[in-house]
Amino acid sequence: MSPFFLSGRVWIGSGGPVQACIVLGAELCYKNIMEKQAKAGTEPAYSFRELQEMIAAYLGPDNVPGRFKVITDTTDFFRVDYNDVVLLENVPYLMRNYTREGRFGLDDEPKYWVRKAIDLKKSKPMIIKLVFHEEIDARVGGMVFKCVRSPRKEAAILELAAGHKNFMQGRAVADKAGNIVRVLDFIQGKRLDELVHRQAASHEQYFYEQLPGYLAVYAEMTEAIQFLHDHGQKHGDIRRDHILQDRNTGDYRWIDFDYDYHHPASMFGYDLFGLGNILIFLVGGGDITVQRLQADEPALLEKITPADMNIIFRNRVANIQKVYPYVPDALNYVLLHFSNGANLYYENTRQLLMDLADVRIKR
Amino acid sequence: MAIDHTKCDITGMVERHIMIAVDSSDNSRRAVLFVGDFFGCYEGFRVTLLHVILEPEATYFRTGDERQQWLAAQLEEAGRVMEEYRHILVDAGFTEERITVRIEPMQAPSVADCIIREQEEMKCCTIVIGRRGISKKEEFIFGSTSSRIIHEAKKCAVLVIE
Repeated sequence: MSPFFLSGRVWIGSGGPVQACIVLGAELCYKNIMEKQAKAGTEPAYSFRELQEMIAAYLGPDNVPGRFKVITDTTDFFRVDYNDVVLLENVPYLMRNYTREGRFGLDDEPKYWVRKAIDLKKSKPMIIKLVFHEEIDARVGGMVFKCVRSPRKEAAILELAAGHKNFMQGRAVADKAGNIVRVLDFIQGKRLDELVHRQAASHEQYFYEQLPGYLAVYAEMTEAIQFLHDHGQKHGDIRRDHILQDRNTGDYRWIDFDYDYHHPASMFGYDLFGLGNILIFLVGGGDITVQRLQADEPALLEKITPADMNIIFRNRVANIQKVYPYVPDALNYVLLHFSNGANLYYENTRQLLMDLADVRIKR
Repeated sequence: MAIDHTKCDITGMVERHIMIAVDSSDNSRRAVLFVGDFFGCYEGFRVTLLHVILEPEATYFRTGDERQQWLAAQLEEAGRVMEEYRHILVDAGFTEERITVRIEPMQAPSVADCIIREQEEMKCCTIVIGRRGISKKEEFIFGSTSSRIIHEAKKCAVLVIE
């Protein structure tokens, strides 16, 4: 262990000594990955023919590519083509298509560093996340702060959340060049926002019949984020399309935790902001925007004031009780913490969960 | 009966020990100037200048070298401003032995957590901090250091300097 991380740094927070261990744990995790890679490098690799046989076992003999590259250094991920084989710790992965961005406004933007793949040893579909060191100036509500993609952060969380039903599962392995590649279980299932969107005939029907179930899911997912925070980690990019329902188990899982940011005033505030947006979306059964009210219920729009809007997204209503009066006070009280009129904000997930526990939805 | 000016009976603290929590911003400089102006001419006060460097998690950086470079730059900048702040206090009348300068790299959820913990450990009777004047949106997402200290610091007075 590097003495650099033991030179009197302290961690202060609700988790106490546990968190200190986790800060060190990220480095241990990295060291373990590199040691495994070094060991794997000494084992014999597969011959071209063996790889072809493994591909044939999965795709069928007629679909075996005649030519493909065997890649052990993924630094230049644009070199990794469809049908290439990436060898990680001596496990061959057949590369398939890249995935696409689900973010609003960036829909279908290709993510060239995130690839569908086949584990040829187990004949199992996986997701391979190659290393992409991206630095972004995130712009939220007029603020600008630096965000980075950190493969090491995601690796540390994968290790921390191994076996946790509310997180994507997988492991981090180093390629020959030391890139921290994440090998993830492929989750078959839909995004939370796709499940919620307009399933019922009316909002009222959705509210009474489906929302209680989604609120239970929401509380469970918030507890999962609390688990990260208690261990000195953050998700970093909480969005409704970063929750998938695993069709095989029925569990909801957080995905994509490689984003990281640094702000001295609060490590977890941005996660709380994301959780608030998801809750507003769930209670509204979708985004209740000024444009939507103008089109569907212009009379309601006259009742809405600037204080009722989402503090960051000024075209979305946060005070949903004004639109749907059957939203109970206890639930609307939680929503108002994320409104422009709020004077009090949640500082941690515990405060949010405590208020949510008081919410009852009854006809 | 003679008054012991080294003790602070109101807060129950053992001495009149002021912590000025600073960074390299103008508001921190104003907080130091305020303490110099108000307390420099009195005996019996001790000041700790505390500069917390909140370190990102190790995984925020690509490499250990990058992290060390970041930290070295932060320490250099902190060292520079702390020397300036120390001079302000000396010029205002504080003797050298009544000023302690501390630059502390720490890992915690927020700078406010670090300041509150240090106040509890040092048993300072007063925390002085400059207010940054952040927007409502920034306070919503990241919180306000001075607000957190006002609400959460115990057994001490808090002076927030605009």
